[in-house]
Amino acid sequence: MNPSVCSSRREFLWQSGLMATALAGRHAQGANSVPVIDCHAHVGHAPALEDPWTTFADPEEILRRNQEANIDQSVIFPISNDTFEKANQEIADVCRRYPGHFIGYAKHDPNKEKGRIRAMLLHECHDLGLRGLKLHEQPGPEILDVVAELGIPIIYHPHRVAMFDEIARNYPTVDFMLAHLGSDLSADWREHLAGIEMARRYPNVYLDTGAVVMTRYIEQAIHELGAEKVIFGSDEPEVDCRLEIFKIRMLKLSKQQEELILGGNLQRLLSKYRGRKI
Amino acid sequence: MSVVDCHALAGKGVTWADPEREVDYDPSQLLEQSIQAGIDRVCILSPRTADYQAANRYIAHVCEQHRDKVIGFAVHSPEREAGRIRQMLTEEVKSMGLQAVRSDGHPTRELLDTAADLHIPVIYYPKRRPGQGPGHFYHMIASAYPQVRFVLPHLGEYRSETWWGHIEALDLVKRYSNVYVDTSGIGSLKYLEMAVRELPAERILFATFAPELDPRVGVETIRLMKLPPREYAEVMGGNILEMLQGGQS
Repeated sequence: MNPSVCSSRREFLWQSGLMATALAGRHAQGANSVPVIDCHAHVGHAPALEDPWTTFADPEEILRRNQEANIDQSVIFPISNDTFEKANQEIADVCRRYPGHFIGYAKHDPNKEKGRIRAMLLHECHDLGLRGLKLHEQPGPEILDVVAELGIPIIYHPHRVAMFDEIARNYPTVDFMLAHLGSDLSADWREHLAGIEMARRYPNVYLDTGAVVMTRYIEQAIHELGAEKVIFGSDEPEVDCRLEIFKIRMLKLSKQQEELILGGNLQRLLSKYRGRKI
Repeated sequence: MSVVDCHALAGKGVTWADPEREVDYDPSQLLEQSIQAGIDRVCILSPRTADYQAANRYIAHVCEQHRDKVIGFAVHSPEREAGRIRQMLTEEVKSMGLQAVRSDGHPTRELLDTAADLHIPVIYYPKRRPGQGPGHFYHMIASAYPQVRFVLPHLGEYRSETWWGHIEALDLVKRYSNVYVDTSGIGSLKYLEMAVRELPAERILFATFAPELDPRVGVETIRLMKLPPREYAEVMGGNILEMLQGGQS
């Protein structure tokens, strides 16, 4: 699809419809009966200019690699900013610019944006069309109450996996995805094991496979928990989705297992959205 | 084309990836995984251990058992084994057939002089404090020993822990004609894409770090670089074989 900017809401809806038709056609032809969705990608600008993840993440770079890897859609959220009102607006803009290719999530800092998050998140879901939340810091009731109300999933990269325990137990209706299977780039393999235990303990905890270097833990998670608890992710554009999806496909899972991991599980979580639609 | 993994592991010890995890890498399992990944030959070395003399003997023993499949490298600790390295390494190369040495710690003149005399490459991944990259450790050894070929594993930064570690590795390869990089355990492939764009293909060596990491991922990593056939063949095996043949001349 031509990634041109949509000049109006009508054009956006028309292009979305075209994209949906194209995807449906592709699935009907047997390419995939469930769309392949990357649950973890970053897009947009940040002011700090210190690292790639505080500078710019290019959506077109992701689209190029998605096409090569046969990934239909990516969940996108901002890179590291101090606060996220502007960055979340940019996510919504990118979703509109490339209709059908991206599912937008908001990102928030529970400490720096304290007291304002409920209103912002309602606006971002109801008016901007965002459908999930990315976190790096432990959320409190301010966030978790509104997330439960909206029925959106949280993808959370905690400092320690153990931090999931309290939130997953106290908010059983909220679906949590543990980013990087508990340890970004497998920096601490013990955290992968802790992540598997956390997902075993709580029905509402799922494991994102993005940027797992020690791939045996992905295999272990699927073996011990079943494909229903594992969700494909990449951490694009810093981590290459072509290699991340290879890490799933090389496992030679059954078609049903692969469909769940590559898109089915996430589709199920996203379908729980209870907020207002645009 | 011969596919040769220039960095794999066999034997008991503590993994190079984590100072607290004991491992026992089974060479039969490694070979099985490697064959499955389409790899013809594997260069193996020991994990970290208190007794490298025994570990290197074990590596030589595995090579004897799998003569066509395995190439053995020695490992030594320049600090702990100071004064004994020349004698041990010479025996390991000349009598036991090992073909390179990994330095567990910053290489000393004793280790580098011996490697130079034996015409064998030195594999060295610097252990560093936060804020230090490979450049901090490589400038002096690479410039003082131009006759020694150094292999910097993981494109300079295991698991891409810092992005600038990769950039420093690229700079080192450009500056010193005796520095090579291996492709194992890279988390962020865009730096390998930079490497294949900016460096001569003959300075990049295919590696997997198996069985610590899955060799199929290592092979796919290079496939994704879309190298022209000649460069692909060089990276996948030609370069390391040429480097090792240099040591046997």
